[in-house]
Amino acid sequence: MDKEADAAPTPDMEPGLEMTQFSDESNDSTFHFQILRLVDQLYVWIGCNSARMGNLFAALPTRWDKTASVAALVGGGAESTGASMARRLSMRTGWSIILSSNLPSNAPVLEAFAEQRLFQELRTLGYVKSASKTSSGAATSLTPV
Amino acid sequence: MASSARFPVKSTQLVATIGGVKTDVVQCNYDDHIMIIVTQIGKMGTLLHARKEEGYGTAPTFNISVLMGKRDEPLMATCARQLIEQMSKTGSSRPLILSLGLSDHSAETLKEVIKVVVENKIW
Repeated sequence: MDKEADAAPTPDMEPGLEMTQFSDESNDSTFHFQILRLVDQLYVWIGCNSARMGNLFAALPTRWDKTASVAALVGGGAESTGASMARRLSMRTGWSIILSSNLPSNAPVLEAFAEQRLFQELRTLGYVKSASKTSSGAATSLTPV
Repeated sequence: MASSARFPVKSTQLVATIGGVKTDVVQCNYDDHIMIIVTQIGKMGTLLHARKEEGYGTAPTFNISVLMGKRDEPLMATCARQLIEQMSKTGSSRPLILSLGLSDHSAETLKEVIKVVVENKIW
């Protein structure tokens, strides 16, 4: 039964999950992104200069609150980055998000770039609707209210 | 720019039939973790964390915890336990993040899951 799947994939045995991987460079750092599309869920990994998985966060939209709820699953201490990004990912897509990232903790510029680049790709993939007012979700979130 | 050739994380994706149900298996090899997603329902389902704890002069012990999802299915923890043991036997001491989105949690299904993952191991 497994051999069948390995040898010749029949039409209904095609992978049902869409995986996107890409890298980009900015501010002397190399960013790696992995996006796995599940049913109303997204698994995202962001790597900065390494292949470490880093912290793992889950963000889920709730019926009771306009913002998404975030939980740190692995790591996620006070200085860890990614919790707010997971929240925004969930709010922009309306899906549950599992986000792992190893972005450095004291570099908001890198974080902003990673988020902007990620949303750019998510728009290309059609996972989020293109924002009408601005092209950068990160930039808007950084401006003081 | 999008050169998957030098993408630092090795990942594999395969499809198997487990218990007559189409099952997607995605494995990612990170520097500090191994991530395995096994799904029949198209969702992450239950997330488990398994790690090896090594002692001096004693046999290693394994620690399994449910990060998110169903906590009343001991067989899922058993599945993670079997996989982390297999990984540690074959040379990887990295922790495992296991996502199980299964339509049933019978022993047969979980045995098949372990078999498929070990046959196509990424570590």
